[in-house]
Amino acid sequence: MHTDSLTIGGRTLTSRFFIGTGLFPNPYVQKEAIKASGAEVLTFAIRRINLASTEDDSILQHLEGENYVYLPNTSGARNADEAVRIARLARASGLSDWIKVEISVNERTLLPDPIETLKATEQLVKEGFTVLPYTSDDPVICKRLEEAGAAAVMPGAAPIGTGLGILNPYNLGLIVEEAGVPIIVDAGLGSASDVTQAMELGVSGVLMNTPVAKAKDPVRMARAMSLAIEAGRLSYLAGRIGKKRYASASSGLDAFKLK
Amino acid sequence: MKKQQVIVMGGGIIGLSCALELQRRGHQAMVLETKRCGGQASGAAAGMLAPYSENVEGPDSFFRLCLESLQLYPEWQRAVREISGESFEYTESGSLYVAYHDADLLALEGRLLWQRQYGSTGMIVEGDALYRMEPLLTGEARAALYTPEESHIYAPHYVRALETACRRLGVQIYEELEQLEIVEWQNEVVVHASNGRFFEGDQLLICSGAWAQHLTDTLHLNIPVYPIRGQICAYEAESRPVSHMVFCNQGYLVGKANGTLVCGASEDVAGYDTTVTEKGISRLLNWNKQLFPFLEKQTPFHSWAGLRPATQDGFPLIGPVPGTERVVLAVGHYRNGILLSPATALLAADYIVDKQFSVFDDAFLPNRFI
Repeated sequence: MHTDSLTIGGRTLTSRFFIGTGLFPNPYVQKEAIKASGAEVLTFAIRRINLASTEDDSILQHLEGENYVYLPNTSGARNADEAVRIARLARASGLSDWIKVEISVNERTLLPDPIETLKATEQLVKEGFTVLPYTSDDPVICKRLEEAGAAAVMPGAAPIGTGLGILNPYNLGLIVEEAGVPIIVDAGLGSASDVTQAMELGVSGVLMNTPVAKAKDPVRMARAMSLAIEAGRLSYLAGRIGKKRYASASSGLDAFKLK
Repeated sequence: MKKQQVIVMGGGIIGLSCALELQRRGHQAMVLETKRCGGQASGAAAGMLAPYSENVEGPDSFFRLCLESLQLYPEWQRAVREISGESFEYTESGSLYVAYHDADLLALEGRLLWQRQYGSTGMIVEGDALYRMEPLLTGEARAALYTPEESHIYAPHYVRALETACRRLGVQIYEELEQLEIVEWQNEVVVHASNGRFFEGDQLLICSGAWAQHLTDTLHLNIPVYPIRGQICAYEAESRPVSHMVFCNQGYLVGKANGTLVCGASEDVAGYDTTVTEKGISRLLNWNKQLFPFLEKQTPFHSWAGLRPATQDGFPLIGPVPGTERVVLAVGHYRNGILLSPATALLAADYIVDKQFSVFDDAFLPNRFI
């Protein structure tokens, strides 16, 4: 059987779970939860990192010695220029040449600014970064980001940290249909069922932080999410049945009738 | 309610505060400490009373408990001074949370938006205004969030004064007990110490911080509290070169009245080991000179470590143990034990005396972990 793998920016990943390292109650729970998630790609805000000495950083130091792909993000940036500037800082520190473009202007909703996101993506692609932009769940902007050279496109399910789940599954389905690069759902998921739903819509992976870090038991939730990703992916590949209005017997009653 | 005999396991800041409050309400508290009072996380703390800087995400139950405790502090620390006859530093310095990038401003503004609704009169300061507040701050600082409401305390003296206050009011304190075993807790309370002595009481209050997880089997209750090592160092500083508590994304600096500048904290997972490591301290030195360049030429004169009692969801466990009317937990205060000492003392005493919580919801109840 053909193996179901995910490749982004030339790198084949073992897990479809991208996890954020922020918000965990303490370093012990953080470390254990990341381990339980099985995630290989870790994201964190560049502005929270000690760029002068990344191995000493208060977050990254707990993750030493593991083979993770770092996906630094530009969270906090309010326009393309700021995002590009901190992306360059991150790369110069030797952390990674992957970058999650995240540009928001409204401090209450933190919704992405698609126009500035597109500008930053174009620029960073030109500079040779592997760019994964976080954007709104609009099929047109997602396609434009792909055309700009994004290695994967990451539409939000709902505003960051809200846990509202997929507000517009129709759009997300369209985005997947149109896409020529992996689609990763980023932001707004709350529970394992949200995650499964996203995977069943055919997305290539999910990126989460709050639903794991703020769970009562983050380690257990990380495992739950990882299983949900797997279940959703398998269900998508296996192909669900069509919906019918009325019952049809699963026992195949006719086959047992004496004739 | 008739006078209750309350055994308090643990003589840290939380145990002593609870014992003092119970004694003030006319009950008899007895503190059992395996080593010396204030010898663990309590004495190692930098003593920051900073709920706004420590809680940057939103006004959850934990923030509200921290805020309540901050607001109790002026009155509470006055009472500890009066009863003990001892003094300790309590400085209403305000705090600065320093941002290096434009990209930090969105987060600081988001924080202000909700923190203003909860008593902060904070503001974002930049340029000359910022350097007037902290002249030695790095030129790389983009801006800072100034929160005037935050203060700090000198924890080693505070915990000593609390102990004296307890003794003066008649709290019985037993130290160096090495190991304690809860022999009976359902119909009466009996605790056995490894020196052979038995202690008996009506109620049991557990304030043993990072050690509370060992009671999981005894109390038939999941107590997910883990030790996180926090390493701190201090500089000798003649003229208080830093006048506010200054936070950045890596840690904090706070100048004490005794002429020391305290820098913390480097956290790691090391079990119950309180050794200071070179790596732990060098991490502090690597970022603090970026924040205050004059530190480049200084060497800390002292460094130490304490075990912070962290919990699975980041909230402390305060409240009754299910299945009995006799056992109450007050553990898992992590980085905020000093700040939370008055609020915890009142909550625990309310429960022990009245069997009810008056103010807070059930976010801290110990039975929340399945």
